[in-house]
Amino acid sequence: MLSIKDLHARVEETTILKGLNLEIKPGEVHAIMGPNGAGKSTLGYVLSGRDGYEVESGSVEMDGKDLLDMEVEERAQAGLFLAFQYPVEIPGVSNMEFMKESVNALREARGENTLSSAEFLKKAKEACKQVELPLDFLKRGVNEGFSGGEKKRNEIMQLIMLEPKIAILDESDSGLDVDALQVVAKGVNSQRDGERSFIVVTHYQRLLDYIQPDYVHILSKGKIVKSGGPELAKEVEASGYAWLAEAEAEGADA
Amino acid sequence: MSQWLNHVLERASTVDDWLSPVRAQALDTLKQQQWPTRRTEAWRYTSLHSVADLELKTATGSATAEAPMIEGLNSLDLVFVDGQLSTDISKLKLPTGVTISELTAPSEPAEAIFAQVKPNRHLFGLVNDVLAQQGVVIDIAAGAKVEQPIRVVNFASAGIESHQRTLVRLGENAQATIIEHGSGSGNSLNTAFAEYDIAEKASLEHYRFALHEGDAIHIGGSHFKLHDHAKMNSTLIGYGSQLTRLDVDIEHAGEHAFAKFNNVYLLAPRQHFDLHSTIEHASPNGTTEENARGIIGDRAKAVFNGRIHIHRHAQKTLAELNNRNLLLTRGAQINTKPELEIYADDVQCAHGATVAEIDEEALYYMLTRGIDRQQALVMLNFGFVQEMVFQMPNKALADWLQPILKTRFESMMEQQ
Repeated sequence: MLSIKDLHARVEETTILKGLNLEIKPGEVHAIMGPNGAGKSTLGYVLSGRDGYEVESGSVEMDGKDLLDMEVEERAQAGLFLAFQYPVEIPGVSNMEFMKESVNALREARGENTLSSAEFLKKAKEACKQVELPLDFLKRGVNEGFSGGEKKRNEIMQLIMLEPKIAILDESDSGLDVDALQVVAKGVNSQRDGERSFIVVTHYQRLLDYIQPDYVHILSKGKIVKSGGPELAKEVEASGYAWLAEAEAEGADA
Repeated sequence: MSQWLNHVLERASTVDDWLSPVRAQALDTLKQQQWPTRRTEAWRYTSLHSVADLELKTATGSATAEAPMIEGLNSLDLVFVDGQLSTDISKLKLPTGVTISELTAPSEPAEAIFAQVKPNRHLFGLVNDVLAQQGVVIDIAAGAKVEQPIRVVNFASAGIESHQRTLVRLGENAQATIIEHGSGSGNSLNTAFAEYDIAEKASLEHYRFALHEGDAIHIGGSHFKLHDHAKMNSTLIGYGSQLTRLDVDIEHAGEHAFAKFNNVYLLAPRQHFDLHSTIEHASPNGTTEENARGIIGDRAKAVFNGRIHIHRHAQKTLAELNNRNLLLTRGAQINTKPELEIYADDVQCAHGATVAEIDEEALYYMLTRGIDRQQALVMLNFGFVQEMVFQMPNKALADWLQPILKTRFESMMEQQ
């Protein structure tokens, strides 16, 4: 489904990803953990095609197609979704028109009928309910004046509406209390159908109590340094990231 | 001198009604005015060439028109066609606390407000003072909370010159919504001036829609006087036409007054729109928030002059003025001049004017949701003015205006 090979990428003059490899099959949930500055958010930006994030070498294929050769919107149309760590406020565009435009752009790309206003509204109402956002939020500007928790839930609402093939959740747990975290996790879990894949990027193990990953990877200094099952997340929880520095020191000695 | 202004002076001497003493003063002032040229600061970027020798008929009063319905608004409509009142005021069912009379009938509020709120430096305001015989006087009693919006509609027909006046008084603690709704597209000249006196703790929700287009010439003003703790929230929408010029004055006469003033102009190709606003902070503890946003089409020209004047005694004033413009082509033009004049030392003020650029982060966010770049740009550009529509307190008006402005914007984009 998604195949990342030896990915090197930089922002301005600084290389952040230094040879990242990751294979994701349909329906799998991969957690990526790591300390601050490891390159966790950069991965999401590079995969989504953000300006200023330059790929130096390596390849990313999605369903056998060269993802890095696509425009940002083409990647989304091909089924890639990025839930932002800091969702953007667009005061003059309502959530309603934003989502309707987006849903229909993706449906068109998939060769499906576009939704009428009534059909869209029905779907949007259901999605709102699922992430416990009030309906009047559809009329408000995109993320305008939302609390941190509301913004995160809005990202999940979009995930539900857009039905991507693969979703990257960039620290969807940051800044959430336990109740909000459960709402976000419930929304995500409702979208696990054996086909849709997820990359769950997080600093803390906490989120993974609610979204059970198939694989856990530790990212450090732009590379995956350790991979394992869900138990790896527990180890991180117990020992933090300090062992990374020690492991590196040992590596340098050897 | 202008041929047209000479005719105005001649016609003014034939106007004879109960307001004649006040009109005579205005006429004296008007006679001392020079016809504005490009060297006149207030008209520096707006040529009056099209008015100088204009010869149009004056209205006979036979025409009638239906006001455009606004769904869900349920407004009380006062309709003027070419400056002539076509609504039978005596048949209106007025909300409690509202008194409406014609300008032709002597009334105490009219006497108190006519040419008293509007500064006499506006040339066309003076023209309106001497020529506008028809108008409405809306008096909201102290303490009245009027739910039903009151709408003054001004149609301008092709070939006609017209002058209309609106006077509004809100008593202490009163609340009301007033909409000035003007339109016309044929070669016409319409002046429409409105004066508002807002008493202590009263609250005015105000809209001015200057939806004149094409060959219409519309010159007007809305002028407000705020007393202690008075509030106003005003939204002005302009399309631009052969010539649209509006002057807005807000005077913080009392302390702790609050004024929010949003305005939006959306200029189709070759149209002209000029907005001059002056906020006088004459008393302490006043607040002003002014936001002007414009989208300007090809070879269209917008002029924005926003002045905030904080007098020596107006300590603790909070004032913000911001003007942002989006030029759709290289041929589009904006002349913007925000001015702050501060004579008090304990105030917080900010002002700025920019030619807007697209918010790259917002664009990226939209692209990651699969929206085409071109469509995302349209949405962001329109969002820039739509934000002002979302801020309108009256949702029925906002719901009516939003699709109209959107359609207008989309056709502007297609014409590029």
